[in-house]
Amino acid sequence: MSEMNELAAKLLSEGTVKVVIGYEEGPAGVRPAFITDPAKTDTLIFDSRCVQNLAVYLNPRRSHVAVLGKVAVIVKGCDSKAVAGLIREYQVKREDLVIIGVRCGGVVRRADMAAELTADTVSDKCQDCDVREPKFCDHLVLPLPPAPPMTTKRSDKIAELLKMTADERWAFWSEQLGRCIRCHACREVCPLCTCVQCIADKNRPQWIPTSATLQGDVMWQMTRVLHLAGRCVDCQECERACPLDIPLGLLTKYVAQMVEKRFDYKAGDDPNVAAPMGEYRTDDEEGFIL
Amino acid sequence: MTIKMVSHADLAALVAELVAANTQVIAPVQAKENPAATDYKQIQKFEDATLGLLPRRSIKEFLFPQTEVFLRYKQHKGDVTLEEIPLAPPKQVIIGAKPCDVASTDILDKVMNWDYRDELWFAHREATTIVSLLCPGLDNNCFCTSVGAGPDSTSGSDAMLIPVDGGYLAQIVTEKGKALFGARAKDVTDSKLIAKVEELRQEARKKVEQNLPVVPAEMPQWLADNFANAYWDTLALRCHGCGACTFVCPTCHCFEIADERENVEGGVRRRNWDACQTGKFTVHTSGHNPRNTQKERFRQRVMHKFSIYPQRFGEVLCTGCGRCARVCPGGMSIQEAVCQLMEIAGAEPQGNGQ
Repeated sequence: MSEMNELAAKLLSEGTVKVVIGYEEGPAGVRPAFITDPAKTDTLIFDSRCVQNLAVYLNPRRSHVAVLGKVAVIVKGCDSKAVAGLIREYQVKREDLVIIGVRCGGVVRRADMAAELTADTVSDKCQDCDVREPKFCDHLVLPLPPAPPMTTKRSDKIAELLKMTADERWAFWSEQLGRCIRCHACREVCPLCTCVQCIADKNRPQWIPTSATLQGDVMWQMTRVLHLAGRCVDCQECERACPLDIPLGLLTKYVAQMVEKRFDYKAGDDPNVAAPMGEYRTDDEEGFIL
Repeated sequence: MTIKMVSHADLAALVAELVAANTQVIAPVQAKENPAATDYKQIQKFEDATLGLLPRRSIKEFLFPQTEVFLRYKQHKGDVTLEEIPLAPPKQVIIGAKPCDVASTDILDKVMNWDYRDELWFAHREATTIVSLLCPGLDNNCFCTSVGAGPDSTSGSDAMLIPVDGGYLAQIVTEKGKALFGARAKDVTDSKLIAKVEELRQEARKKVEQNLPVVPAEMPQWLADNFANAYWDTLALRCHGCGACTFVCPTCHCFEIADERENVEGGVRRRNWDACQTGKFTVHTSGHNPRNTQKERFRQRVMHKFSIYPQRFGEVLCTGCGRCARVCPGGMSIQEAVCQLMEIAGAEPQGNGQ
């Protein structure tokens, strides 16, 4: 038993929490686990296949998880930023949570891949990671694995897209978004998509066509990505969840880069630092408005 | 059983002839952005097809498009005029479809011709000829043999291709299938090939049968009686409530009707896929939602497929393709759920499953 399993058992048996949300071996790769019995914490694992961001289960929309009671959640550094985001936006109270941080050596793109990290299998989100050792947590467990292999796939692709003409970019995105089936998995796995009534579900008036036509697909992604500006923590769950392999991480990453450039802000792991959308500064850039 | 022989060259010539006659030919095509994936797409020549993998989406969209305009309206002050869209789907031939995808068509015919005849569905059905491809059994997500289908099932197929040295054996199933191949289908001269087919079938079935026992006939009633079983309480905790599983499913067929304005003068009425896994699916106008959490929604998915549909139509609403588990971002598996429910029910394992 690792210190992670022992800690989970202790938190449950002492009654500090009612459920520990972590990772377990599933029929097709690693998957989220909800442990309520202190005798059953030995199934919890953590390795480079634990790609999912479990902060999503703290989202108040997950009413079927909330009924279980107080939660301890296992987070990688990147995931801890999402927990901080939920607290920053008053969706979750800090005191209602026990945060178990795990030191991380990078993760693969899909939970059913082999654990060995290569430049091809490592997730894009691990590039330039600044939180392999989470700071925003109550407990920090497991030894720090070696750093993941370097990948520049996504930043190279963004650079390539920026060099294109507007028409070429439109052709690229028309093809990519043209595959969208509007299942909204990108929204559902997003820890920061907290709206009880999503604008995509509104029909009086209907802002976004529900039909899976290019117009509706583009409007949906533009709306989603803009709504995440300055909030997205780049966990890339949207891209992982997409059943049609649409590279959604390119959009969220680029918007995050724009926010950083214009507002000197990166969605980080301190819930007390206000996001650009959440505060007013007299020196806020406004050139793009006027 | 009529088995004929067709060569690659015959198939290539057939596709060329169909395309020249303005028949839409659909086949699995390698995805540009992911070489390990294929999608059913329109092809111009047979060489464009990449057969064998399980395409990311099922063939459903070619019989039941994800979005389909069926009415156009024009509005001028208080007057509204309606214009029906004629039911004239393009003639199409789907080649190399997976047997699990094709098996869904016969299953869906039942609900589509139940309380009323769904003209849109049957118009597409009649315009379509389906040539499936014997599946070798892919991985441990496959469980077609547990639900009445199989890697060698010809249910819904007009003909089935079986890869052999030098081309394909074509098992002709319907008159449509016979007419499609016509004189291109030659008699099989090498009798060993027929024995080889049987071997391939058995191998494929054996591979899939390991994954899940046959779902026994008493399960639909047991599920109906166990609507309140404690099992459901914890089953769907990891489910995110997206619609990915339903949209890639060959048998999920729920839809909604949406009116969309195109311009000041009017717009269209469309039929769009809908998904029972999303929260808004069952919201009443009062705001009440009878399936308020993911527990009720995932239970509904299992119930509809393994209890409600078989009780009403005599067939499980699942062909065991396993796409739902493959795409699930939360790691849900209907195969695992059914297996666990069978255990709770104390069902005797049938078939060669574990």
